Amino acid sequence: MKKFLTSIAAAGFISMIFGLGVANAGEVDLLLQKLVEKGVLTPGEAQQIGTETKEQVKAEIAAGKNTSLPAWIQNTKLKGDFRVRYQLDHSKTSDTGVVSDRNRGRVRLRLGVDSKVNDKIMVGAGIATGTTDVTSYDSARSNNQSFGNAFAKKPLVLDYAYARYTPVSWASIMGGKMKYLPWRPTDVMIDNDITPEGGVLQLTKKLNDKTNLFLDTMLFVLSETEPTTHNAMTYATQGGIEYLLTDTHSLKGAVSYYDFSNVKGRALDGSQGTNTKSSGSGTTGLNKYGFREITPAFELGIKNPFKPIANITGLSMLDIEKLAFFGEYYNNLAAPAKNNGFASGFGFGNEKVDEWGKWQVQYVYSMLEKDSVLDTLPDSDRYSGKTGIRGNKVSFQYGLGKNTWLQLAGFRFENINQIGTNRRAPTTVFQADWNMKF
Amino acid sequence: MRLTKLIPLGAVILGFTLPCYAEKIVVAGSTTVLPIAQKAAEVFMNNNPDSDISVRGGGSGVGIASLIDGTCDIGNSSRSIKDTELDKAVTNGRSLKANVIAMDGICIIVHPSNSITELTKKQIKEIYTGTVSNWAQLGGTDETIVVISRDSASGTFEAFGTLALDGAKVRSDALMQASNQAVASTVSKTPGAIGYVGLGYVSSSVKAVDVNGVKASKETVLTNKYLLGRPLFMYTNGEPKGLAKQFIDFILSPAGQKLVEEEGFVGLK
Repeated sequence: MKKFLTSIAAAGFISMIFGLGVANAGEVDLLLQKLVEKGVLTPGEAQQIGTETKEQVKAEIAAGKNTSLPAWIQNTKLKGDFRVRYQLDHSKTSDTGVVSDRNRGRVRLRLGVDSKVNDKIMVGAGIATGTTDVTSYDSARSNNQSFGNAFAKKPLVLDYAYARYTPVSWASIMGGKMKYLPWRPTDVMIDNDITPEGGVLQLTKKLNDKTNLFLDTMLFVLSETEPTTHNAMTYATQGGIEYLLTDTHSLKGAVSYYDFSNVKGRALDGSQGTNTKSSGSGTTGLNKYGFREITPAFELGIKNPFKPIANITGLSMLDIEKLAFFGEYYNNLAAPAKNNGFASGFGFGNEKVDEWGKWQVQYVYSMLEKDSVLDTLPDSDRYSGKTGIRGNKVSFQYGLGKNTWLQLAGFRFENINQIGTNRRAPTTVFQADWNMKF
Repeated sequence: MRLTKLIPLGAVILGFTLPCYAEKIVVAGSTTVLPIAQKAAEVFMNNNPDSDISVRGGGSGVGIASLIDGTCDIGNSSRSIKDTELDKAVTNGRSLKANVIAMDGICIIVHPSNSITELTKKQIKEIYTGTVSNWAQLGGTDETIVVISRDSASGTFEAFGTLALDGAKVRSDALMQASNQAVASTVSKTPGAIGYVGLGYVSSSVKAVDVNGVKASKETVLTNKYLLGRPLFMYTNGEPKGLAKQFIDFILSPAGQKLVEEEGFVGLK
């Protein structure tokens, strides 16, 4: 009886110090271990008390009842990443022109908060290094800040701020400046750093264990100029499927349609000035054509593709986790010529580079004709985000530890717009990144 | 009507209606916990003829989902509740209480003729994911490893995948067996085989190997020194009450814990 009462007292005490937030799980385990060593508890009782207490704390946190943490902390997740980059830009002004090298040190910091308003509504907001100079082509497309200006402080900007309402598990609505982009296997057409402004309706339907369907409908504002002229808008929809072909093979495919309305006859902020102009030229010239884009895309993933060879040869290094082939095609229905583009490539290595020794390699070849896509959108690392280009990207990621990794990337691109001696003007960019995520 | 005539009439009505009010509970979930729940329910109902305990399987996810939906009174689970399940419980106004009723120790077994006596967790993962396929690669004889696994519907398969494989998939050519007994039997008859079973299924017909230098035993499982151990739960909606409380108390009693060990699991007492 005495031992029973002692066990009850120990359980109560441990629950209390957990509740007060003065002990973490490791400390409670240590305390229970000591009680077992002193003969107060049996190993089974310690196991029962420790496990049930941890489960109780989990349940209380889920219910927002844990008094050790304020409710707003329990409902809020902080996240971010930091990157230090060395970048070499090696370029020629023409085929036979002057070679110029530019060496840069750059940083990118992003801090974000996701907070649950209630069980169905989430608000996300993020700040990041960047610029609000809307005339700069990388205002929307890059969060890098280069070293220089005699140690001048660097600006932080609002990267995104939006709300997501999920009334049922298969549907959600977002609105604001969103950390969202439709699915693409590459960032060739739309830079990953872009945070579009407007609203999105996302629907998903799981047909069975192997098949998942998704449908995203988007409305983005590109330029707000009413009542003088109509706003430039993006109306888009993407329908896709994720299908598990076998235990090791999976296929993801989607077809997207983007209607960039009222961009014809307009100069957009962030333009690289490489789309055909009806009057003027460069970034301030007016677009000659509209943009109505149809974009089919796919990605085929294969898990452990070389396992049979690794088993036969005994070379475990051949047993890579994943091999993927992907591709996408861009066609601007609103332009009469030079309106096609594509990207294709492959990647292999570990599924995630989230710890020491894990790695990934990726290769992408891409080509964008002059009016294939809107020149405010493409990846800013590929020929500074211009259209009328073609070239290769190779990247290698290597895990340095938990949540930190090294990335080496090389870009070799050339101009396909111009003629004569100034035809190609090739550019090579090399980047060495040290990435940290928290 | 006189009162004296009403009394026997009332007694008759009471006699017919009382059985209808006999307490009944439904226990559902983990197939790992199922044999404990079935055996305990059988003994409990023998001792308490008025009680009605319905036991069914379905898996840990089904048990917890049924508890949240209100279609069972006790949700059996061979794993801790997931955050998504807790969120769903909160949304449905449930406050789930975990009741640990036993421990499960997953033993790695090989054929008795195998010279291997110890494996690391990394080696077990390499064997089960297909990176290592011959015992010679681990210091044993030149013999192909025959990988035996539980079928993917079992809680033991899920626990093994989490505890030993860190979520990696079992090689596709592994021989899948429907029960602990079938795994033990296949390993005992196949010289190059490796399998995994609950602690209670280890017998002289197979050899249990140490994992990371620790032998699987009641003590090492209860003190978390053995890597491949896990608690078994009976979740209830809030503190258990009524028949559910009586049933869980019975399982935690010395008599109930004896049944737990007879079913091949590790008792808490």
